[in-house]
Amino acid sequence: MKRRSWIQKQGWIGYAFIMPNMLGILLFFIIPALFSFGLMFTDYQFANPNVSFTGLDNIERLFQDEQFYSAVRHTGIFLLSVPISLVIAFIVALVLNRSVYLKGLLRGMFFLPYISSGVAVAFVWMLLFQPSHGPINEVLRWIGIATPPGWFADSDTAMYAIDVVQIWFMLGYNMIIYLAALQEISAEQLEAARIDGASARTVTWKIVWPLVSPTTFLLLITGLIMTMKSFSLIQAITQGGPSGSTTILSLFVYKTAFSYYEMGYASAISWFLFAVILIITIIQWIGQKRWVHY
Amino acid sequence: MNDSAGKIKLPTTILMIVAGVFMILPFLWMISTSFQSPSEVFSKWLPSKLDWSSHERIWTGSYNFVPYYLNSVKISVISTIGAVFLSALAAYGFARIEFKGRDAMFLVYLSMMMIPPQVIFVPKFIMFNWMHIYNTHWALILPGMFSIFGVFMLRQFFMSVPKEITESAFLDGAGHFKIFFRLVLPLAKPALATFAIIDFSWHWNDYENALVFLTSPELYTIPLGLQNFILENNVDYNGMMAASSAAIIPMILIFLIGQKYIIQGISSSAVKG
Repeated sequence: MKRRSWIQKQGWIGYAFIMPNMLGILLFFIIPALFSFGLMFTDYQFANPNVSFTGLDNIERLFQDEQFYSAVRHTGIFLLSVPISLVIAFIVALVLNRSVYLKGLLRGMFFLPYISSGVAVAFVWMLLFQPSHGPINEVLRWIGIATPPGWFADSDTAMYAIDVVQIWFMLGYNMIIYLAALQEISAEQLEAARIDGASARTVTWKIVWPLVSPTTFLLLITGLIMTMKSFSLIQAITQGGPSGSTTILSLFVYKTAFSYYEMGYASAISWFLFAVILIITIIQWIGQKRWVHY
Repeated sequence: MNDSAGKIKLPTTILMIVAGVFMILPFLWMISTSFQSPSEVFSKWLPSKLDWSSHERIWTGSYNFVPYYLNSVKISVISTIGAVFLSALAAYGFARIEFKGRDAMFLVYLSMMMIPPQVIFVPKFIMFNWMHIYNTHWALILPGMFSIFGVFMLRQFFMSVPKEITESAFLDGAGHFKIFFRLVLPLAKPALATFAIIDFSWHWNDYENALVFLTSPELYTIPLGLQNFILENNVDYNGMMAASSAAIIPMILIFLIGQKYIIQGISSSAVKG
């Protein structure tokens, strides 16, 4: 009886709490998203008043655009940073979780890049990777590599150098989440395995790694999505160059829209990006139930 | 902890410290370079004597970061205050009030998380032109006050507040607004602080929105100011690093002060989410 009246009395008040936020979400997320969906089917160019409906032209153009395919390839290389960062983060978290002094200090040191991300850090890396005098290549020359890579200046290596920065940036975040997951594993489970004579390596990869698989899965999915959306690091360091070698999909959208002002076409590319994120999210829904060992 | 783990503890710690120093080496190098004289750049790891001239140049020279700093502070502070308050309100509504259509509305929020910012840049650009807020700080502040992530994170926290507390206050005749302001918000201080720090750092570092929506140099935030500085002074490496330090050090300080909150907040939002 009491429970029933508690629910009934609420009525309009719920809307009052949500409405201020909902209005903003409507104005700055939902309406623009619908608007963008419509733009995909037009040849809208900024500052050109003649807009016409072009049906699926933009989508056809997309699948014939060589730049689009190279952007997909670069995005693929960019996404490599996600699993690599995960594995390193797992190992660091394992070590920090068990056998170190100064755990808090170390955790802070590994996490610092994540909080201080942004353009400023991108410029620091730009100088660190500077090909002729930068400290990274100085060290490489000092250890005997006569012609170290050109990093951001060379179209063959630029994307991988971006990956290095991205791994460095994501590592701390992944490590913090792994640390939280490791703390939920009971000591008895590990003790039992050790008594059975399992080596440290077996315990790690046969017991701990499967136990944290829900976390790995979550971090992989959210990491892939987050990495796919971000372009500020690349825009700050290379602007997509040299010769387009670091233009990933999200940056391709930005350039098409705001350097070439082809906003209809840019919308089509951005919805392709959405489609990929949607597929990853669906895999997450299915995968959470099927592939994760609890 | 068994014996073998005890024996390797010290060497592991040393190894991890070395790895940790590598992680923060870019910051150390940045600070060190900002204090070097121009002739020393790239030739030394440490300045032979502290040279403040690069820092002076950034703050008082022809290229002045003061306005960028003030713009960034203004945009980040107003956006964060708005986002914390509006997200907390909505999060309480979703977590503690039952009303028609609530779950459907929450589903809409969920689905908006999948929309990449690139999808909405173009329509926002067009709409902001119509609304006459393009190339004003409002183009960053207004959207910045609405955070889907904030609603999720705070809803998670509010749901962990025992139902009996709010329910008994309700049965004692307190309205939801009273419960929210007097009871739930004070309880949620750690969660609010966590979200505020994360949200502030996001606005402070936001480059993409500033890039799309601001064109007048006097409106630039720190990331755009930095970019501009580098375009115009691309060999002034000391100046670049002094300017980068100015951008990064506030975030490092905020992290050092709020470390406990940030790490707890991030762990709990992901593991239980």
